[in-house]
Amino acid sequence: MSLLTIKNLSARVEEKDILKGFNLTVNPGEVHAIMGPNGSGKSTLASVLAGNESYEVTGGEVDFDGKDLLDMAPEERAREGLFLAFQYPVEIPGVSNVNFMKAAVTEVRKHRGLEPLVAKDFLAYMKEKKELVELDGKLAGRSVNEGFSGGEKKRNEIFQMAMLDPKLGILDETDSGLDIDALRIVANGVNKLKSKDKAFIVITHYQRLLDYIVPDFVHVLYDGKIVRSGTKELALELEEKGYDWIKEELTEA
Amino acid sequence: MSEAMTTSILSELVSGAKSANSFKGIRSEAEGFLADSRIPSKKHEDWKYTNIKRLFDNGLNLVSANDLTFNSVDGVEVYWSTNEELVGSTAIHSKEAHAALNTSLFEKALVIRVKKGAQVNEELILQQVIKLNDGEFSATRVLIVVEDNASLKCQHHYSGSPQNSSLLNNLTEVFVGQNARLELNYVQEIGEGNLMTTTEVECQRDSNFTTNCVQLYGSLLRNNVNIRLKGENVETHLNGFYMLNGKELFDNHTLVDHLVPHCESNEIYRGILAGKSTGVFNGRVFVHRDAQKTNGYQSNNNILLSDDATMNSKPELEIYADDVRCSHGSTTGQLDEDAVFYLRARGLDEFGATALLLTAFAGDVLKAISSEILRSELEDKIQNKLKEMRA
Repeated sequence: MSLLTIKNLSARVEEKDILKGFNLTVNPGEVHAIMGPNGSGKSTLASVLAGNESYEVTGGEVDFDGKDLLDMAPEERAREGLFLAFQYPVEIPGVSNVNFMKAAVTEVRKHRGLEPLVAKDFLAYMKEKKELVELDGKLAGRSVNEGFSGGEKKRNEIFQMAMLDPKLGILDETDSGLDIDALRIVANGVNKLKSKDKAFIVITHYQRLLDYIVPDFVHVLYDGKIVRSGTKELALELEEKGYDWIKEELTEA
Repeated sequence: MSEAMTTSILSELVSGAKSANSFKGIRSEAEGFLADSRIPSKKHEDWKYTNIKRLFDNGLNLVSANDLTFNSVDGVEVYWSTNEELVGSTAIHSKEAHAALNTSLFEKALVIRVKKGAQVNEELILQQVIKLNDGEFSATRVLIVVEDNASLKCQHHYSGSPQNSSLLNNLTEVFVGQNARLELNYVQEIGEGNLMTTTEVECQRDSNFTTNCVQLYGSLLRNNVNIRLKGENVETHLNGFYMLNGKELFDNHTLVDHLVPHCESNEIYRGILAGKSTGVFNGRVFVHRDAQKTNGYQSNNNILLSDDATMNSKPELEIYADDVRCSHGSTTGQLDEDAVFYLRARGLDEFGATALLLTAFAGDVLKAISSEILRSELEDKIQNKLKEMRA
């Protein structure tokens, strides 16, 4: 059974239609890359799937592991195992990463019928996940994302993903602006989390990330729809030729 | 001034009032002040948003205050006095009507004294469980003296459920000696009652004074804090946290008076307002010409949880010295929706996310409270009030 089935999804923000009949099926164990020029709807897709209420869904349906995703509050989606790594992680002064993760992990465990971890076990669990993304021990004690560099924020997203152990991870331009070392760390983190039960949607501008996280499928999003799908070779072609040839083909057709 | 005349001025304000035999000097000064002034109305700049005068207009009857109790702490002398010399020596009663009223009408002063060099670790807790009925007025008076090189932590906790047209007026005078330390914490949670509190502080050189005021419940809470830095190298922190719901009105007026060089004042007042509540913050930092090398920092931040809540914030910085570092800032806004969504996207429900953010917002004030017990009690009370605000 597929993990995520998106059928004919349309969404708008501030009266502007962004997604216009988007279709995608993701099976467990798969990595899908979604590429596309600026303004094509990539981040809208991520926000809509995570339940951001600034976006209005105007049509279509989304099935997530047998449940109606669009019917769920953002926190229910997270507890059901959907994780969005934010393009712009939010700084939260006064809330430490540790307390934040303790609250989040407790909620997710509760949803799965598990008791909260006792302090010692939680810290051990956190230590293990921190190492996965080579997150500096000190960052964990600091306020969430406050004063973090761009790379640290993105690593913190992957760390949170590791902590919450989702079925589906959506990475919204997690690679943008990262230097090659940070990119490698982020990608390694994702690769270590990959398993036959989990899937990832990697939204990116740049083919570079896909050297490290190898996708099973590459989709081109343009004007709110997937206009082309292929394998990782498609990403290379896009890197070389840009998006114009796709736009031209679409205009001709 | 004749006794008959003062009695008539007082009984115009509060019936049943008459001059007492103790503290004659300061009472006569206070009554002289009242003879020439009135309880300020909303026309007065300092009372623009806070109408306490209406309580007097409806008529108030003086009743004895017997609601103030305290624990016994080694190293602290606590006693009731009718002749303690330092009472009234801040002279606030000849500058402000409510202070004058307090000075005229309190029966006996609660004196708290820590002798030279005594280091007191245990917290002294004043419990004031207010039991006033409709139309009743009472005045309580506290004097805190922390002598040179001594240190004290004191909490004054106002609670009870006074009826909603009563008024308690408390005036606390504080003397912090050379190289002495005092942490003075206030908790105000008095149901539907009205409370007028004033704290007058004088700090001598090298001393350290911290005061934190947490306001949780009351129809009208007016809290004045006036701190005079009289000696060099004083460090002072004044913080406040307030949560308002329904039609509550909480008003904080503070003044830090930098009289001499090389002192530091830090002020953080923060509040969360819901329902149709009204908050007032007026924070004045006054740096006199001689007070060079002053460091003065002030901020007031407010979060409005409803469209009908109002915050009136007025930071005032007056500087007459030319070599100082001072800053102030005031913000009033809504909860950061992006932050709420971010937390929800990690599995916290909307209330959990909101509570986590608002608790963090309070944290900068609460962390100044050294008693872990008090801090954790306050955190629980804040959670409870947040739940009420959601409802």
